[in-house]
Amino acid sequence: MITRLWKTFLSTRVGRSIFRVGLPQSNLERAQVAISSFFLHFQPAKINQRVLEFRTTLGLGLITLYLFLILVGTGVLLMFYYVPATDYAYQNMKDLEFVVTAGQVLRNMHRWSAHLMVLFVVLHMCRVFYTAAYKPPREFNWVVGVTLLLLTLGLSFTGYLLPWDQLAFWAITVGTSIAGYAPVIGQKLKFLFLGGHVVGESALIRFYVLHVIVLPISAVLLIAVHLWRIRKDGGLARPDQPLATREEFAPAQLPVTKTYGMMELARGTTPAVGLNPDEEVFTWPNLVFRELLLLMATIAVVLILAIFWNAPLEEIANPVHPPNPAKAPWYFLGLQELVAYSAFWGGVIVPGLLVTALVLLPYLDRKRRGIGVWFARERRVAITLFTICLSVAIVLTVIGTAFRGPNWGFQVPWRPAPAPQEHSGL
Amino acid sequence: MNPDLRKFYGWFTALGLLIGVLIIAAYYKDQFREWKNWQHAYIKQELARANTPEQRADAARIPVEIRQIVLPELGRVDRCTSCHVAVEDPSYAGLPMPLAYHPNHDRHPFDKFGCTICHQGQGLATTREAAHGHVEHWNHPMLDMKYIQSACGKCHLPTDVPDAPKLARGRAVFEETGCIGCHKLRGVGGVIGPELDNVGASRSPEWLLTHFKNPAAVTPGSAMPPIKASDADLDALTLYVLSFTDEPLSAYYVSMKTIPGPAAGRRLFEEKGCIGCHSLGGKGGNIGPPLDEVAKRHNAQWIVGHFKNPQAVSPGSVMPQFNFTEQETRALTEFLLSLTDTNVIGFLKVPGAASPLERGKAVFKKYGCAGCHGPDAQGGVPNPNAKTAQQVPGLKFVGAGYTKDELRKRILNGQREIPVMDPKKAAAPLYMPPWNGKIAEGELNDLVEYLMSLAPKEDLGF
Repeated sequence: MITRLWKTFLSTRVGRSIFRVGLPQSNLERAQVAISSFFLHFQPAKINQRVLEFRTTLGLGLITLYLFLILVGTGVLLMFYYVPATDYAYQNMKDLEFVVTAGQVLRNMHRWSAHLMVLFVVLHMCRVFYTAAYKPPREFNWVVGVTLLLLTLGLSFTGYLLPWDQLAFWAITVGTSIAGYAPVIGQKLKFLFLGGHVVGESALIRFYVLHVIVLPISAVLLIAVHLWRIRKDGGLARPDQPLATREEFAPAQLPVTKTYGMMELARGTTPAVGLNPDEEVFTWPNLVFRELLLLMATIAVVLILAIFWNAPLEEIANPVHPPNPAKAPWYFLGLQELVAYSAFWGGVIVPGLLVTALVLLPYLDRKRRGIGVWFARERRVAITLFTICLSVAIVLTVIGTAFRGPNWGFQVPWRPAPAPQEHSGL
Repeated sequence: MNPDLRKFYGWFTALGLLIGVLIIAAYYKDQFREWKNWQHAYIKQELARANTPEQRADAARIPVEIRQIVLPELGRVDRCTSCHVAVEDPSYAGLPMPLAYHPNHDRHPFDKFGCTICHQGQGLATTREAAHGHVEHWNHPMLDMKYIQSACGKCHLPTDVPDAPKLARGRAVFEETGCIGCHKLRGVGGVIGPELDNVGASRSPEWLLTHFKNPAAVTPGSAMPPIKASDADLDALTLYVLSFTDEPLSAYYVSMKTIPGPAAGRRLFEEKGCIGCHSLGGKGGNIGPPLDEVAKRHNAQWIVGHFKNPQAVSPGSVMPQFNFTEQETRALTEFLLSLTDTNVIGFLKVPGAASPLERGKAVFKKYGCAGCHGPDAQGGVPNPNAKTAQQVPGLKFVGAGYTKDELRKRILNGQREIPVMDPKKAAAPLYMPPWNGKIAEGELNDLVEYLMSLAPKEDLGF
């Protein structure tokens, strides 16, 4: 029934003007569909069989992208209700919960997607590392990815303040004070972020503008670059990929491998695609449908989370009553744990080194070994180093999240230490 | 079917159904709200009561919707009436909650006051549990009705509210106990304990009550002595302290209609143009006498009488009769009294006409000396590790050890370091705060007179 209606629609003038090809019946049309659609042309008309295997990427990058889309969608809807003013922000949260149709579900979806996106962007990065997908010619796309990781953290962090409850207020107070430990510029930087010395109205409006305009637009642009570069760098990393070839203007000698250069018209080095006809499959429907299914699965998981668990909302922000302990958002708790030992090391040196190391990684580790292979034996040293760093980060984050109680003292999560009594001054 | 679709058909169907079910679940969760049930119950009630077809049609037209009272000046939005639909309908008097009538709201109309300013709870919420505030992360659950009079004290002085005897009793207990000897309230009082301006909003009734009975139980290490009073008095004290909320109230709520205080009096004084005939601080007319020190020449009754009928108390006065309302008269009188009495907290004025000793005793009470030195200056409040037998010393014998001048200095300067019994232990928590700048000169003289008089005259043993 639906198929027939769809076909009827496609056969009309309007239908044809929108979907030039219609539901493809032949291989030619399958190729045309991928090429002629704006949303599908990010991918080539034909892809390597390997791309369809789940273990190649585990779908991590795609899930991150979908979470971003869910965040944009729910975020825009939330913007209809949210007023970035300290007098109203918290009340808006209560309005969403109690009187706005589907307000709570929207906020829950937004909140859980945001946490998941931070998680999945890190998982995606791990996948890319463990399959050596950052090696030439994909060095720069790794750098774009690192920037996107930082943008994701920035988006999550700026969004954290907006509900204007105790959790938000103190997490941002702690988070920005970590930035304040940077030498020379630290305090200036903190002042720039907050628009003052403490978290207040100026900080809220700054975080709001960053959260809804600056960072999302930057992210959209960089995501586009990131996806586009996947194609231009020769598709997903795989072991047997030939090196870049040099194209010459010589129509008689056609290049032996397919490239994404300007074919016979120009000279220069261009990444090789190296598709063999027997490994090729059509993007439509093989890849497109799998991607759609993954999108549906992601939406379903986020919906389940949103229906059964409410996003946290504590008391309204109270600048004179810090909770004990005041904790930054979970993804910064590793840093906060380090700051507890040494503000300078935890707040400046370690995060600085970490970001520098991530950016430089593809330029330092550039031997084309183990590309597209999980945990390749030849990369033992690199994998061990990365795993150690990752484990330390995870352990620190877990300690900071679950094992730190009042006054940042050690506690076990199943037996929390009692909150210390406030001293009245008597 | 398109052959491309066939392979994925099962998956698309399964995930599509799952998402569909989830969306329906989210929708139901969102649409089922308990306040709707109560509004339907209300409509049913109205339909049952309808006698004529018109009334029935009216009842059927009552919309089921969120009802809220928006109070921008109080920074509150109260949605309580979404369930308590009939609060303004006297014919619902005595019906079970939530569809009951709220009596006695004529002086505090709902559209100006809402609900939570008195009852507390979470006005923004629309579920019973959350709205009544008994949920995590909401600090102001609904006030137990036995403490409801504390709400009056947020705007009114306890003496202004004839229907709030517990509030007035609480204030009396507060004064007798001498709380402000250690605690500051609205800028007046000692510095040993924390300020109390906001304590009614930040502490629960249970906390306050426990704190009065046994301070160390809720504040470990507290040096505050337990308050010895009857349970009824402690309840009244709790009620009174709960009224210290420091709530920002806009002009409407602080107008002379609500509180006939000095601030309202000052506004009236300016509005009514008193300055045309009288002067303040050397500015103004000279037809009438200057008013800077009018309270020193006349008492409150005289001033009130003068406002009502100038010629009756001041024969030959040329002041016209202004026909001020009762409230306006009180506000103006409060203002005039405050001109000479800046050091005095509004509620506890030392009577001017009494003897120096009586006045001194009142001063002793006013500044909360009793809090540590005991109601009759007999001492005895524990002060661990203080050399004076681990107690705050009594003052019965100050006359034997101090000259009047030394005593004055002692009161003005206080004593921060209290000599200790055992230097290894923690310092004594209670100390003598300096009263310089807080106590008025005349008050200090009276207090010294009073303290000097305490020593028993007879039977000194020689």
